[in-house]
Amino acid sequence: MSMNVIETSGLAKRYGRTWALRECTLAVPAGHVAALVGPNGAGKTTLLNLAVGLAAPTAGLVTVLGGRPPGSPAALDGIAFVAQDTPLYKNLSAGDMLHLTRNLNRRFDREYAQTRLAELGIPLNRKAGRLSGGQQAQLALTLALARRPKLLVLDEPVAMLDPVARHDFMATVLTAMADDGVSVVLSSHVLAELERVADYLILLSRGRVQVAGEVDGLLATHRVLTGPAAEAGDYAERLSVVHARRGEAQAHLLVRATAADPVPPGWEAHPVGLEELALAYLREPGAAALPGPARARALPLETGPLETGEPSEVTR
Amino acid sequence: MSPLYSDQHLRVSDAERQAVTDRLAEHFAAGRLDPAEFDDRVGRAMSAKIRADLSGLFAGLPETGAPAAPELARGGGGTPGDAPRGTGSPIEFRLDAASGVPTYLQLVHQVEHALRLGYLKPGDQLPKVRDVVASLAINPNTVLKAYKELETKGLTAGRPGQGTFIQATLSQVALPELTGLRKTLLGWLTTADGAGLDQDGIVALFTSALRDFYERRSGSRTRGGAASGETEGVA
Repeated sequence: MSMNVIETSGLAKRYGRTWALRECTLAVPAGHVAALVGPNGAGKTTLLNLAVGLAAPTAGLVTVLGGRPPGSPAALDGIAFVAQDTPLYKNLSAGDMLHLTRNLNRRFDREYAQTRLAELGIPLNRKAGRLSGGQQAQLALTLALARRPKLLVLDEPVAMLDPVARHDFMATVLTAMADDGVSVVLSSHVLAELERVADYLILLSRGRVQVAGEVDGLLATHRVLTGPAAEAGDYAERLSVVHARRGEAQAHLLVRATAADPVPPGWEAHPVGLEELALAYLREPGAAALPGPARARALPLETGPLETGEPSEVTR
Repeated sequence: MSPLYSDQHLRVSDAERQAVTDRLAEHFAAGRLDPAEFDDRVGRAMSAKIRADLSGLFAGLPETGAPAAPELARGGGGTPGDAPRGTGSPIEFRLDAASGVPTYLQLVHQVEHALRLGYLKPGDQLPKVRDVVASLAINPNTVLKAYKELETKGLTAGRPGQGTFIQATLSQVALPELTGLRKTLLGWLTTADGAGLDQDGIVALFTSALRDFYERRSGSRTRGGAASGETEGVA
Protein backbone atom coordinates (compact mmCIF):
# COMPACT_ATOMS: atom_id res chain seq x y z
CA MET A 1 0.00 0.00 0.00
CA SER A 2 2.95 2.29 0.37
CA MET A 3 3.39 2.42 -3.40
CA ASN A 4 2.86 5.73 -5.17
CA VAL A 5 0.56 5.36 -8.16
CA ILE A 6 1.83 8.62 -9.64
CA GLU A 7 5.05 10.37 -8.76
CA THR A 8 6.42 13.45 -10.45
CA SER A 9 9.41 15.64 -9.88
CA GLY A 10 9.90 19.02 -11.52
CA LEU A 11 7.49 17.89 -14.19
CA ALA A 12 6.74 20.49 -16.86
CA LYS A 13 4.93 20.56 -20.17
CA ARG A 14 4.96 23.35 -22.70
CA TYR A 15 2.65 23.62 -25.66
CA GLY A 16 4.12 26.17 -28.06
CA ARG A 17 4.89 29.16 -25.88
CA THR A 18 2.43 28.25 -23.14
CA TRP A 19 3.45 26.31 -20.06
CA ALA A 20 0.56 23.98 -19.29
CA LEU A 21 2.34 22.54 -16.27
CA ARG A 22 5.31 23.81 -14.31
CA GLU A 23 7.57 22.51 -11.55
CA CYS A 24 5.05 19.86 -10.68
CA THR A 25 6.35 17.71 -7.86
CA LEU A 26 3.96 15.36 -6.13
CA ALA A 27 3.29 11.80 -5.12
CA VAL A 28 -0.12 10.16 -5.12
CA PRO A 29 -0.19 7.17 -2.78
CA ALA A 30 -2.07 3.98 -3.70
CA GLY A 31 -5.37 3.04 -2.10
CA HIS A 32 -7.00 6.42 -2.44
CA VAL A 33 -9.44 8.31 -4.58
CA ALA A 34 -7.27 11.28 -5.40
CA ALA A 35 -9.08 14.31 -6.73
CA LEU A 36 -7.26 16.66 -9.04
CA VAL A 37 -8.94 20.02 -8.69
CA GLY A 38 -8.27 23.37 -10.28
CA PRO A 39 -9.72 26.05 -12.53
CA ASN A 40 -9.86 25.62 -16.29
CA GLY A 41 -6.40 25.72 -17.76
CA ALA A 42 -4.72 24.79 -14.48
CA GLY A 43 -3.01 21.80 -16.08
CA LYS A 44 -5.21 18.95 -14.89
CA THR A 45 -5.64 17.23 -18.23
CA THR A 46 -1.98 17.80 -19.06
CA LEU A 47 -0.88 16.14 -15.85
CA LEU A 48 -3.18 13.16 -16.44
CA ASN A 49 -2.04 12.81 -20.07
CA LEU A 50 1.59 12.80 -18.94
CA ALA A 51 0.82 10.15 -16.31
CA VAL A 52 -0.90 7.78 -18.72
CA GLY A 53 1.73 8.28 -21.41
CA LEU A 54 -0.35 10.20 -23.93
CA ALA A 55 2.07 13.12 -23.79
CA ALA A 56 5.80 13.43 -23.19
CA PRO A 57 7.18 15.90 -20.63
CA THR A 58 9.09 18.98 -21.71
CA ALA A 59 11.11 18.75 -18.50
CA GLY A 60 11.16 16.74 -15.30
CA LEU A 61 10.18 13.19 -14.45
CA VAL A 62 6.99 11.21 -14.08
CA THR A 63 6.62 7.58 -13.03
CA VAL A 64 3.57 5.46 -12.31
CA LEU A 65 2.69 2.35 -10.30
CA GLY A 66 5.78 2.48 -8.15
CA GLY A 67 8.47 3.82 -10.45
CA ARG A 68 7.51 2.62 -13.92
CA PRO A 69 7.74 4.95 -16.88
CA PRO A 70 4.37 5.88 -18.40
CA GLY A 71 3.78 4.04 -21.65
CA SER A 72 5.91 1.03 -20.63
CA PRO A 73 4.17 -2.34 -21.01
CA ALA A 74 3.69 -2.74 -17.26
CA ALA A 75 2.27 0.77 -16.99
CA LEU A 76 -0.06 0.25 -19.94
CA ASP A 77 -1.35 -2.99 -18.46
CA GLY A 78 -1.85 -1.56 -15.01
CA ILE A 79 -3.55 1.73 -15.85
CA ALA A 80 -6.96 2.31 -17.36
CA PHE A 81 -7.80 5.79 -18.57
CA VAL A 82 -11.15 7.29 -19.42
CA ALA A 83 -10.59 10.62 -21.16
CA GLN A 84 -12.91 13.63 -21.08
CA ASP A 85 -16.31 13.18 -22.74
CA THR A 86 -16.01 9.37 -22.62
CA PRO A 87 -14.55 8.53 -26.02
CA LEU A 88 -16.32 5.65 -27.74
CA TYR A 89 -16.66 4.70 -31.37
CA LYS A 90 -20.19 5.99 -31.78
CA ASN A 91 -20.97 3.75 -34.73
CA LEU A 92 -19.91 0.55 -33.02
CA SER A 93 -22.36 -1.37 -30.89
CA ALA A 94 -21.67 -1.93 -27.19
CA GLY A 95 -20.88 -5.57 -28.03
CA ASP A 96 -18.41 -4.52 -30.75
CA MET A 97 -16.70 -2.11 -28.35
CA LEU A 98 -16.36 -4.92 -25.89
CA HIS A 99 -14.89 -7.21 -28.56
CA LEU A 100 -12.50 -4.49 -29.74
CA THR A 101 -11.29 -3.59 -26.26
CA ARG A 102 -10.75 -7.25 -25.48
CA ASN A 103 -8.59 -7.72 -28.56
CA LEU A 104 -6.59 -4.56 -28.00
CA ASN A 105 -5.60 -5.46 -24.46
CA ARG A 106 -3.55 -8.23 -22.95
CA ARG A 107 -5.82 -8.52 -20.00
CA PHE A 108 -9.58 -8.25 -20.25
CA ASP A 109 -12.23 -9.70 -17.97
CA ARG A 110 -14.97 -10.37 -20.47
CA GLU A 111 -17.28 -11.93 -17.94
CA TYR A 112 -17.10 -8.86 -15.71
CA ALA A 113 -17.85 -6.59 -18.66
CA GLN A 114 -20.82 -8.63 -19.83
CA THR A 115 -22.28 -9.03 -16.35
CA ARG A 116 -21.86 -5.35 -15.64
CA LEU A 117 -23.48 -4.23 -18.90
CA ALA A 118 -26.39 -6.58 -18.23
CA GLU A 119 -26.78 -5.11 -14.72
CA LEU A 120 -26.80 -1.64 -16.22
CA GLY A 121 -29.39 -2.65 -18.80
CA ILE A 122 -27.14 -1.66 -21.72
CA PRO A 123 -28.13 -3.74 -24.78
CA LEU A 124 -25.07 -5.21 -26.52
CA ASN A 125 -26.51 -4.62 -29.98
CA ARG A 126 -27.17 -0.92 -29.54
CA LYS A 127 -24.75 1.52 -31.17
CA ALA A 128 -22.68 3.42 -28.62
CA GLY A 129 -23.81 6.71 -30.14
CA ARG A 130 -27.44 5.85 -29.43
CA LEU A 131 -26.95 5.19 -25.73
CA SER A 132 -27.83 7.87 -23.20
CA GLY A 133 -25.03 10.04 -21.84
CA GLY A 134 -25.06 8.11 -18.58
CA GLN A 135 -24.96 4.76 -20.38
CA GLN A 136 -22.08 5.89 -22.61
CA ALA A 137 -20.12 6.91 -19.55
CA GLN A 138 -20.90 3.60 -17.86
CA LEU A 139 -19.90 1.68 -21.00
CA ALA A 140 -16.52 3.46 -21.18
CA LEU A 141 -16.01 2.87 -17.47
CA THR A 142 -16.95 -0.80 -17.70
CA LEU A 143 -14.49 -1.34 -20.55
CA ALA A 144 -11.80 0.38 -18.47
CA LEU A 145 -12.53 -1.63 -15.32
CA ALA A 146 -12.71 -4.93 -17.23
CA ARG A 147 -9.01 -4.49 -17.90
CA ARG A 148 -8.59 -5.02 -14.15
CA PRO A 149 -6.30 -2.02 -13.70
CA LYS A 150 -4.36 -1.16 -10.57
CA LEU A 151 -4.94 2.51 -11.29
CA LEU A 152 -8.01 4.05 -12.85
CA VAL A 153 -7.51 7.54 -14.26
CA LEU A 154 -10.62 9.58 -15.04
CA ASP A 155 -10.53 13.01 -16.66
CA GLU A 156 -13.67 15.01 -15.79
CA PRO A 157 -15.72 11.83 -15.68
CA VAL A 158 -19.04 13.24 -14.52
CA ALA A 159 -19.07 16.79 -15.87
CA MET A 160 -21.66 16.02 -18.55
CA LEU A 161 -23.87 13.68 -16.53
CA ASP A 162 -27.14 14.31 -14.73
CA PRO A 163 -27.20 13.78 -10.94
CA VAL A 164 -28.50 10.21 -11.04
CA ALA A 165 -26.01 9.17 -13.74
CA ARG A 166 -23.22 10.84 -11.74
CA HIS A 167 -24.17 8.97 -8.62
CA ASP A 168 -24.34 5.64 -10.44
CA PHE A 169 -21.06 6.28 -12.24
CA MET A 170 -19.22 7.07 -9.00
CA ALA A 171 -20.87 4.10 -7.29
CA THR A 172 -19.39 1.82 -9.98
CA VAL A 173 -15.95 3.37 -9.54
CA LEU A 174 -16.01 3.15 -5.76
CA THR A 175 -17.39 -0.38 -5.71
CA ALA A 176 -14.47 -1.44 -7.91
CA MET A 177 -12.22 0.18 -5.34
CA ALA A 178 -13.93 -1.70 -2.50
CA ASP A 179 -13.79 -5.01 -4.40
CA ASP A 180 -10.38 -4.96 -6.06
CA GLY A 181 -8.52 -2.18 -4.30
CA VAL A 182 -8.05 -0.22 -7.51
CA SER A 183 -6.61 3.24 -6.89
CA VAL A 184 -8.36 6.16 -8.53
CA VAL A 185 -7.13 9.52 -9.76
CA LEU A 186 -9.80 11.79 -11.15
CA SER A 187 -10.02 15.39 -12.18
CA SER A 188 -13.14 17.40 -11.53
CA HIS A 189 -14.63 20.86 -11.20
CA VAL A 190 -17.54 19.63 -9.16
CA LEU A 191 -16.15 20.43 -5.73
CA ALA A 192 -19.29 19.71 -3.74
CA GLU A 193 -19.45 16.11 -4.86
CA LEU A 194 -15.81 15.41 -4.15
CA GLU A 195 -16.42 15.67 -0.45
CA ARG A 196 -17.86 12.18 -0.18
CA VAL A 197 -15.70 10.62 -2.87
CA ALA A 198 -12.14 11.88 -2.57
CA ASP A 199 -9.80 11.14 0.31
CA TYR A 200 -6.75 12.69 -1.29
CA LEU A 201 -6.70 16.19 -2.71
CA ILE A 202 -4.40 17.74 -5.28
CA LEU A 203 -5.08 21.36 -6.06
CA LEU A 204 -3.54 22.67 -9.25
CA SER A 205 -3.44 26.35 -10.04
CA ARG A 206 -1.82 28.00 -13.02
CA GLY A 207 0.21 24.93 -13.79
CA ARG A 208 1.54 24.52 -10.25
CA VAL A 209 0.66 22.23 -7.36
CA GLN A 210 -0.88 24.32 -4.61
CA VAL A 211 -2.20 21.72 -2.19
CA ALA A 212 -1.53 18.00 -1.97
CA GLY A 213 -2.42 15.73 0.89
CA GLU A 214 -4.89 13.41 2.54
CA VAL A 215 -8.26 15.09 2.92
CA ASP A 216 -8.61 14.14 6.59
CA GLY A 217 -5.22 15.63 7.36
CA LEU A 218 -5.97 18.80 5.44
CA LEU A 219 -9.34 19.29 7.14
CA ALA A 220 -7.85 18.61 10.57
CA THR A 221 -5.18 21.26 10.09
CA HIS A 222 -7.44 24.05 8.85
CA ARG A 223 -10.15 26.00 10.68
CA VAL A 224 -12.32 28.99 10.03
CA LEU A 225 -12.13 31.69 12.69
CA THR A 226 -15.00 34.14 12.87
CA GLY A 227 -14.70 37.33 14.87
CA PRO A 228 -14.59 41.14 14.85
CA ALA A 229 -13.20 42.55 11.61
CA ALA A 230 -11.29 45.20 13.53
CA GLU A 231 -9.01 42.56 15.03
CA ALA A 232 -8.64 40.53 11.85
CA GLY A 233 -5.56 42.40 10.68
CA ASP A 234 -3.82 41.73 14.00
CA TYR A 235 -4.48 38.04 13.95
CA ALA A 236 -3.71 37.74 10.28
CA GLU A 237 -0.14 38.61 11.23
CA ARG A 238 0.13 36.10 14.04
CA LEU A 239 -1.84 33.20 12.61
CA SER A 240 -1.14 31.68 9.26
CA VAL A 241 -4.13 32.82 7.31
CA VAL A 242 -4.85 31.22 3.96
CA HIS A 243 -7.78 33.39 3.01
CA ALA A 244 -9.68 36.17 4.73
CA ARG A 245 -13.16 37.43 4.06
CA ARG A 246 -14.06 40.66 5.76
CA GLY A 247 -17.32 42.52 6.31
CA GLU A 248 -17.71 45.86 8.03
CA ALA A 249 -17.94 44.27 11.45
CA GLN A 250 -17.21 40.58 11.07
CA ALA A 251 -14.40 38.65 9.45
CA HIS A 252 -13.84 35.01 8.55
CA LEU A 253 -10.27 33.79 8.48
CA LEU A 254 -9.42 30.42 7.06
CA VAL A 255 -6.29 29.56 9.00
CA ARG A 256 -3.91 26.69 9.30
CA ALA A 257 -4.65 25.44 12.82
CA THR A 258 -5.88 22.30 14.51
CA ALA A 259 -8.77 21.88 16.93
CA ALA A 260 -6.21 21.84 19.73
CA ASP A 261 -4.85 25.27 18.91
CA PRO A 262 -6.08 28.12 21.12
CA VAL A 263 -8.81 30.35 19.75
CA PRO A 264 -8.37 34.09 20.30
CA PRO A 265 -10.84 35.47 22.87
CA GLY A 266 -14.04 36.69 21.25
CA TRP A 267 -13.47 34.51 18.17
CA GLU A 268 -15.27 31.35 17.20
CA ALA A 269 -13.57 28.42 15.49
CA HIS A 270 -15.38 26.19 13.00
CA PRO A 271 -14.24 23.09 11.20
CA VAL A 272 -13.84 23.52 7.48
CA GLY A 273 -15.20 21.40 4.63
CA LEU A 274 -13.34 20.25 1.55
CA GLU A 275 -15.14 22.66 -0.76
CA GLU A 276 -14.51 25.68 1.47
CA LEU A 277 -10.86 24.71 1.85
CA ALA A 278 -10.35 24.22 -1.89
CA LEU A 279 -12.08 27.51 -2.72
CA ALA A 280 -9.96 29.40 -0.21
CA TYR A 281 -6.75 28.13 -1.75
CA LEU A 282 -7.97 28.67 -5.29
CA ARG A 283 -8.69 32.30 -4.40
CA GLU A 284 -5.17 32.69 -3.01
CA PRO A 285 -2.89 31.29 -5.67
CA GLY A 286 0.11 32.28 -3.55
CA ALA A 287 -0.77 30.01 -0.62
CA ALA A 288 0.33 26.39 -0.55
CA ALA A 289 -0.12 23.38 1.68
CA LEU A 290 1.84 20.29 0.79
CA PRO A 291 1.70 17.84 3.70
CA GLY A 292 1.64 14.83 1.39
CA PRO A 293 4.55 12.53 0.66
CA ALA A 294 5.74 14.94 -1.99
CA ARG A 295 8.08 17.67 -0.85
CA ALA A 296 8.22 20.56 -3.23
CA ARG A 297 10.58 23.49 -2.98
CA ALA A 298 12.25 23.91 0.39
CA LEU A 299 10.93 27.31 1.27
CA PRO A 300 11.71 28.92 4.61
CA LEU A 301 8.91 28.17 7.04
CA GLU A 302 6.91 31.07 8.31
CA THR A 303 6.86 30.27 11.99
CA GLY A 304 3.36 30.02 13.36
CA PRO A 305 1.69 28.46 16.40
CA LEU A 306 1.09 25.24 14.51
CA GLU A 307 1.57 21.78 15.82
CA THR A 308 0.24 19.77 12.97
CA GLY A 309 2.61 16.91 13.48
CA GLU A 310 3.16 16.83 9.76
CA PRO A 311 5.75 18.52 7.67
CA SER A 312 4.09 21.46 6.07
CA GLU A 313 5.02 24.44 4.04
CA VAL A 314 3.30 27.72 4.12
CA THR A 315 3.90 30.47 1.64
CA ARG A 316 2.02 33.70 1.62
CA MET B 1 -63.83 -7.65 8.83
CA SER B 2 -62.24 -5.20 6.43
CA PRO B 3 -58.47 -5.64 6.19
CA LEU B 4 -58.11 -1.88 6.45
CA TYR B 5 -59.17 -1.96 10.10
CA SER B 6 -57.74 -5.33 11.02
CA ASP B 7 -54.61 -3.97 12.69
CA GLN B 8 -56.14 -0.94 14.35
CA HIS B 9 -56.45 -2.66 17.71
CA LEU B 10 -52.77 -3.72 17.78
CA ARG B 11 -50.59 -2.18 20.41
CA VAL B 12 -48.14 0.48 19.31
CA SER B 13 -44.43 -0.07 19.99
CA ASP B 14 -42.01 2.59 21.22
CA ALA B 15 -40.23 2.49 17.91
CA GLU B 16 -43.47 3.17 16.09
CA ARG B 17 -44.27 6.12 18.34
CA GLN B 18 -40.78 7.40 17.69
CA ALA B 19 -41.18 6.97 13.94
CA VAL B 20 -44.41 8.89 14.01
CA THR B 21 -43.01 11.74 16.09
CA ASP B 22 -39.93 11.86 13.85
CA ARG B 23 -42.17 12.34 10.85
CA LEU B 24 -44.24 14.95 12.64
CA ALA B 25 -41.01 16.73 13.47
CA GLU B 26 -40.16 16.64 9.78
CA HIS B 27 -43.44 18.33 8.96
CA PHE B 28 -42.86 20.82 11.76
CA ALA B 29 -39.39 21.56 10.44
CA ALA B 30 -40.84 22.12 6.99
CA GLY B 31 -43.29 24.62 8.41
CA ARG B 32 -46.37 22.53 7.69
CA LEU B 33 -47.38 22.45 11.35
CA ASP B 34 -47.45 25.34 13.77
CA PRO B 35 -46.00 24.80 17.26
CA ALA B 36 -49.44 24.29 18.85
CA GLU B 37 -50.48 21.67 16.29
CA PHE B 38 -47.12 19.97 16.56
CA ASP B 39 -47.32 19.90 20.35
CA ASP B 40 -50.81 18.48 20.22
CA ARG B 41 -50.05 15.79 17.66
CA VAL B 42 -46.82 14.68 19.33
CA GLY B 43 -48.66 14.48 22.61
CA ARG B 44 -51.26 12.23 21.00
CA ALA B 45 -48.56 10.10 19.37
CA MET B 46 -46.63 9.64 22.60
CA SER B 47 -49.72 8.61 24.51
CA ALA B 48 -51.03 6.32 21.75
CA LYS B 49 -51.69 2.79 22.94
CA ILE B 50 -53.11 1.15 19.84
CA ARG B 51 -52.86 1.79 16.12
CA ALA B 52 -56.23 3.53 16.05
CA ASP B 53 -54.81 6.23 18.33
CA LEU B 54 -52.30 7.07 15.63
CA SER B 55 -54.84 7.59 12.91
CA GLY B 56 -55.45 11.15 11.87
CA LEU B 57 -52.10 12.39 13.14
CA PHE B 58 -51.07 13.21 9.61
CA ALA B 59 -54.36 14.72 8.59
CA GLY B 60 -53.88 17.50 6.08
CA LEU B 61 -50.18 16.76 5.63
CA PRO B 62 -48.42 15.52 2.49
CA GLU B 63 -46.60 12.24 2.79
CA THR B 64 -42.95 12.22 3.75
CA GLY B 65 -40.58 9.34 3.04
CA ALA B 66 -42.58 6.17 3.49
CA PRO B 67 -46.36 6.29 3.73
CA ALA B 68 -47.70 5.83 7.22
CA ALA B 69 -50.03 2.87 7.05
CA PRO B 70 -47.88 0.27 5.24
CA GLU B 71 -44.83 1.24 7.30
CA LEU B 72 -46.66 0.73 10.57
CA ALA B 73 -48.46 -2.38 9.41
CA ARG B 74 -45.17 -4.00 8.46
CA GLY B 75 -43.74 -3.26 11.89
CA GLY B 76 -46.06 -5.85 13.36
CA GLY B 77 -45.06 -5.04 16.93
CA GLY B 78 -41.34 -5.41 16.24
CA THR B 79 -39.02 -2.65 15.20
CA PRO B 80 -39.91 -0.93 11.94
CA GLY B 81 -36.45 -1.69 10.63
CA ASP B 82 -36.81 -5.45 10.34
CA ALA B 83 -38.29 -5.42 6.87
CA PRO B 84 -36.21 -7.77 4.74
CA ARG B 85 -34.00 -5.86 2.33
CA GLY B 86 -31.61 -8.69 1.57
CA THR B 87 -28.58 -6.72 2.75
CA GLY B 88 -28.37 -8.59 6.03
CA SER B 89 -28.54 -5.45 8.12
CA PRO B 90 -31.50 -3.89 9.88
CA ILE B 91 -30.40 -0.40 8.94
CA GLU B 92 -29.64 1.57 5.82
CA PHE B 93 -27.46 4.67 5.82
CA ARG B 94 -28.35 8.00 4.32
CA LEU B 95 -26.28 11.12 3.81
CA ASP B 96 -27.11 14.76 4.28
CA ALA B 97 -24.73 16.75 2.12
CA ALA B 98 -25.97 20.03 3.55
CA SER B 99 -25.35 19.14 7.19
CA GLY B 100 -21.66 20.02 7.12
CA VAL B 101 -20.96 16.93 9.24
CA PRO B 102 -18.13 14.79 7.82
CA THR B 103 -19.45 11.74 6.01
CA TYR B 104 -17.84 9.17 8.33
CA LEU B 105 -19.32 10.94 11.36
CA GLN B 106 -22.77 10.88 9.80
CA LEU B 107 -22.49 7.09 9.57
CA VAL B 108 -21.28 6.86 13.18
CA HIS B 109 -24.15 9.05 14.38
CA GLN B 110 -26.72 7.03 12.47
CA VAL B 111 -25.56 3.80 14.08
CA GLU B 112 -25.68 5.41 17.52
CA HIS B 113 -29.10 6.85 16.77
CA ALA B 114 -30.37 3.45 15.61
CA LEU B 115 -29.00 1.89 18.79
CA ARG B 116 -30.78 4.43 20.98
CA LEU B 117 -34.05 3.89 19.18
CA GLY B 118 -33.79 0.14 19.21
CA TYR B 119 -33.46 -0.35 15.46
CA LEU B 120 -30.14 -2.06 16.17
CA LYS B 121 -29.51 -4.62 18.88
CA PRO B 122 -26.40 -6.54 19.96
CA GLY B 123 -25.66 -9.23 17.40
CA ASP B 124 -27.10 -7.25 14.49
CA GLN B 125 -24.92 -6.79 11.47
CA LEU B 126 -24.02 -3.41 10.04
CA PRO B 127 -24.36 -3.00 6.27
CA LYS B 128 -21.38 -4.45 4.42
CA VAL B 129 -18.80 -1.88 3.36
CA ARG B 130 -19.30 -2.72 -0.31
CA ASP B 131 -23.08 -2.29 -0.03
CA VAL B 132 -22.72 1.10 1.64
CA VAL B 133 -20.26 2.18 -1.05
CA ALA B 134 -22.54 0.98 -3.84
CA SER B 135 -25.68 2.61 -2.49
CA LEU B 136 -24.25 5.96 -1.37
CA ALA B 137 -21.36 6.29 -3.85
CA ILE B 138 -18.91 7.14 -1.10
CA ASN B 139 -15.27 6.27 -0.62
CA PRO B 140 -14.75 2.82 0.95
CA ASN B 141 -12.09 4.32 3.21
CA THR B 142 -14.78 6.57 4.68
CA VAL B 143 -16.96 3.61 5.60
CA LEU B 144 -13.97 1.78 7.06
CA LYS B 145 -13.13 4.86 9.11
CA ALA B 146 -16.67 5.03 10.48
CA TYR B 147 -16.65 1.33 11.37
CA LYS B 148 -13.25 1.68 13.01
CA GLU B 149 -14.55 4.58 15.09
CA LEU B 150 -17.54 2.50 16.20
CA GLU B 151 -15.21 -0.31 17.14
CA THR B 152 -12.99 2.06 19.10
CA LYS B 153 -16.07 3.23 20.97
CA GLY B 154 -16.75 -0.39 21.85
CA LEU B 155 -20.10 -0.44 20.09
CA THR B 156 -19.21 -2.91 17.36
CA ALA B 157 -16.80 -5.72 16.64
CA GLY B 158 -15.48 -6.88 13.31
CA ARG B 159 -15.67 -10.57 12.51
CA PRO B 160 -13.10 -11.46 9.87
CA GLY B 161 -14.71 -12.52 6.63
CA GLN B 162 -18.22 -11.84 7.91
CA GLY B 163 -18.62 -8.18 8.62
CA THR B 164 -19.17 -5.78 11.48
CA PHE B 165 -21.59 -6.59 14.28
CA ILE B 166 -23.17 -4.66 17.12
CA GLN B 167 -21.87 -5.76 20.49
CA ALA B 168 -23.08 -3.14 22.93
CA THR B 169 -26.08 -0.95 23.50
CA LEU B 170 -26.23 2.72 24.27
CA SER B 171 -27.91 3.89 27.42
CA GLN B 172 -31.56 4.24 26.63
CA VAL B 173 -33.85 6.50 28.54
CA ALA B 174 -37.12 4.88 29.51
CA LEU B 175 -40.17 5.98 27.59
CA PRO B 176 -42.09 7.72 30.41
CA GLU B 177 -39.05 9.80 31.17
CA LEU B 178 -38.59 10.56 27.49
CA THR B 179 -42.20 11.69 27.25
CA GLY B 180 -41.72 13.97 30.22
CA LEU B 181 -38.56 15.47 28.77
CA ARG B 182 -40.26 16.03 25.45
CA LYS B 183 -43.16 17.75 27.19
CA THR B 184 -40.80 20.09 29.06
CA LEU B 185 -39.03 20.87 25.84
CA LEU B 186 -42.29 21.56 24.04
CA GLY B 187 -43.23 23.92 26.84
CA TRP B 188 -39.95 25.72 26.41
CA LEU B 189 -40.47 25.84 22.64
CA THR B 190 -43.84 27.49 23.15
CA THR B 191 -42.22 30.09 25.41
CA ALA B 192 -39.47 30.71 22.86
CA ASP B 193 -42.02 31.04 20.11
CA GLY B 194 -44.03 33.44 22.24
CA ALA B 195 -40.91 35.51 22.83
CA GLY B 196 -40.68 35.98 19.07
CA LEU B 197 -37.91 33.52 18.20
CA ASP B 198 -38.34 31.88 14.83
CA GLN B 199 -37.35 28.31 14.12
CA ASP B 200 -33.78 29.07 13.13
CA GLY B 201 -33.38 31.27 16.17
CA ILE B 202 -34.56 28.44 18.39
CA VAL B 203 -32.17 25.97 16.77
CA ALA B 204 -29.26 28.41 17.09
CA LEU B 205 -30.04 29.11 20.75
CA PHE B 206 -30.48 25.45 21.60
CA THR B 207 -27.31 24.42 19.78
CA SER B 208 -25.24 27.09 21.45
CA ALA B 209 -26.68 26.28 24.91
CA LEU B 210 -26.06 22.57 24.34
CA ARG B 211 -22.48 23.23 23.37
CA ASP B 212 -21.95 25.48 26.39
CA PHE B 213 -23.47 22.87 28.65
CA TYR B 214 -21.17 20.09 27.54
CA GLU B 215 -18.12 22.26 27.26
CA ARG B 216 -18.66 23.48 30.81
CA ARG B 217 -19.26 19.97 32.05
CA SER B 218 -16.13 18.60 30.46
CA GLY B 219 -14.29 21.62 31.87
CA SER B 220 -12.28 21.98 28.69
CA ARG B 221 -13.29 25.55 28.21
CA THR B 222 -10.39 27.83 27.54
CA ARG B 223 -12.10 31.12 26.92
CA GLY B 224 -14.79 33.11 28.70
CA GLY B 225 -18.35 32.19 27.77
CA ALA B 226 -19.61 35.46 26.44
CA ALA B 227 -23.24 35.01 25.50
CA SER B 228 -24.19 32.05 27.61
CA GLY B 229 -25.96 33.77 30.48
CA GLU B 230 -29.44 33.93 29.00
CA THR B 231 -29.52 30.34 27.81
CA GLU B 232 -29.59 28.66 31.21
CA GLY B 233 -33.23 27.67 31.21
CA VAL B 234 -32.89 25.12 28.44
CA ALA B 235 -31.33 22.13 30.08
